[in-house]
Amino acid sequence: MLVSKNRGTSLLRSSEKSSLLRFLALYFILVTMILLLLGVFYYQSQEKLMFSNQKTILSEYANKQVKALKQLHNNFPNHVAIYPRSDKYRSAIYDIEGKKIFSLLKHDTEEDIRFESGIYRVGNTLHFVKILDDYYLGTKYLIIEVDEDMTWYKETMSSILAFGTLTLIVLIIFGLFFVGIFLRPMRNSIMLLDNFIKDTTHELNTPISAILANVEMMDTSVLSDRNKKRLSRINIAAKTVSHLYQDLTYLTLSHNRKSKDEWIDMKKLIEDRVEYFAILASAKKITFELDLKESAIFIDGVKIARVLDNLISNAIKYNKRNGKIYITLRKNYLQVQDTGIGIKSKKVQEIFERYTRFNTSEGGFGIGLNIVKSIIDEYNLKINVESVVDVGTTIRIDFTKGTLDG
Amino acid sequence: MVKKIILLGVVCSTVLGADEPKNIYEKNCIPCHRYAPASLEKLFMVYLKSYSGELSVKGAIKAFLKNPTESDSKMNNTFIENFSVKDKTTLTDEELEEAIDTYWELYNVRKKLK
Repeated sequence: MLVSKNRGTSLLRSSEKSSLLRFLALYFILVTMILLLLGVFYYQSQEKLMFSNQKTILSEYANKQVKALKQLHNNFPNHVAIYPRSDKYRSAIYDIEGKKIFSLLKHDTEEDIRFESGIYRVGNTLHFVKILDDYYLGTKYLIIEVDEDMTWYKETMSSILAFGTLTLIVLIIFGLFFVGIFLRPMRNSIMLLDNFIKDTTHELNTPISAILANVEMMDTSVLSDRNKKRLSRINIAAKTVSHLYQDLTYLTLSHNRKSKDEWIDMKKLIEDRVEYFAILASAKKITFELDLKESAIFIDGVKIARVLDNLISNAIKYNKRNGKIYITLRKNYLQVQDTGIGIKSKKVQEIFERYTRFNTSEGGFGIGLNIVKSIIDEYNLKINVESVVDVGTTIRIDFTKGTLDG
Repeated sequence: MVKKIILLGVVCSTVLGADEPKNIYEKNCIPCHRYAPASLEKLFMVYLKSYSGELSVKGAIKAFLKNPTESDSKMNNTFIENFSVKDKTTLTDEELEEAIDTYWELYNVRKKLK
């Protein structure tokens, strides 16, 4: 199986991404709301200004109309009287009881007319109401109507859009800058931990290698059964530390090294790793059930070994005593199933987070599955986790992308 | 001869009928105001300018006619000094309202504005 590599694996952890996205979303919403609010205030102020300007003009029209009404009132003809008209405005007159005397308005339904002094908008027109002290022709309310000049609206909306967009862009740039500052403490703490692990790792290598080499070389035939057990415990402890060392080394040193991809016989690799972990599994009386078919993938040997080691190691670590580990290998997938404590469904998505541990009674830094995920992502493989509390966990890796080598 | 008598009768009744007051307004208002310096039409415009609405104008006229006072009168001071304020109306409320309605309809500006 040939697998393609995903070099774009993000350096940000999902929690960092999540924090980043939440902060940006919150920031964007707040900034947009503030800008909208400012836009509304600006619009209202411009509208008030327009009303104020129009009020002055309409007030002059009203005074002119009152003069004409007065003249008509004082010289009212016997039969037909021509109501005073103007090209600049339309008008209507209402009596003290709100009854229409005469109207040239476009909008003069009951809903359109307000009997209070001032200016208001009706449809696309403006109404100005003047209350008369002398009721010429019975007029208490004189209403002047003009079509609304929408120039102010277009200019205001253009200003709001232009200024709003520009401000939004500037504030987003500021926001991105602030995000860097916002995430810096989190990054610093992670870097501090990484550096600590990196420094510690160097000091582990030599003593572990020495312990393991000497344990392997020991002549167990001369040892008593008690001492054989003790040696076995030393071996288990050393291998556990060795596994941790391998993870830490991978995480801190090998992660950025150039991959040496080659064809890996998965069946052989699994059998090797199962043999390596057999002594750890036997300590908890865990047995392996292997169902392996021939399969090979084109991948870095160190990396796929880290994947396998971590899956098997976790299956042992979180298994019950006398439990079982089923390993299934097919041409297109690998599956590791344990009979362990399981994980709550809500927590399943978090198991790939670095430093996440679901059982503090077990050892480890919580980096194993994070390494698995980073390798899986790098090679565009697909990983699926199914878990039932107190029943067990099944992790399946699909070699979905790539070319079958036969 | 009979024909001439009938024709004379018809002509006389037509001529006499034309001058006869047709309603309460004409019978009770016009005879006096005909000689007043302010015409009923001018007086109507004065009321309209002061009270605006139909109900207000009619109400004000009715109130004044039932209880005329110098302060409520719309006539100028010279007229009042010469002729004093008019006497209270002898018409009933219904007759008074009918006369005022006729007056309103006659000079209502709404119908005349074009």
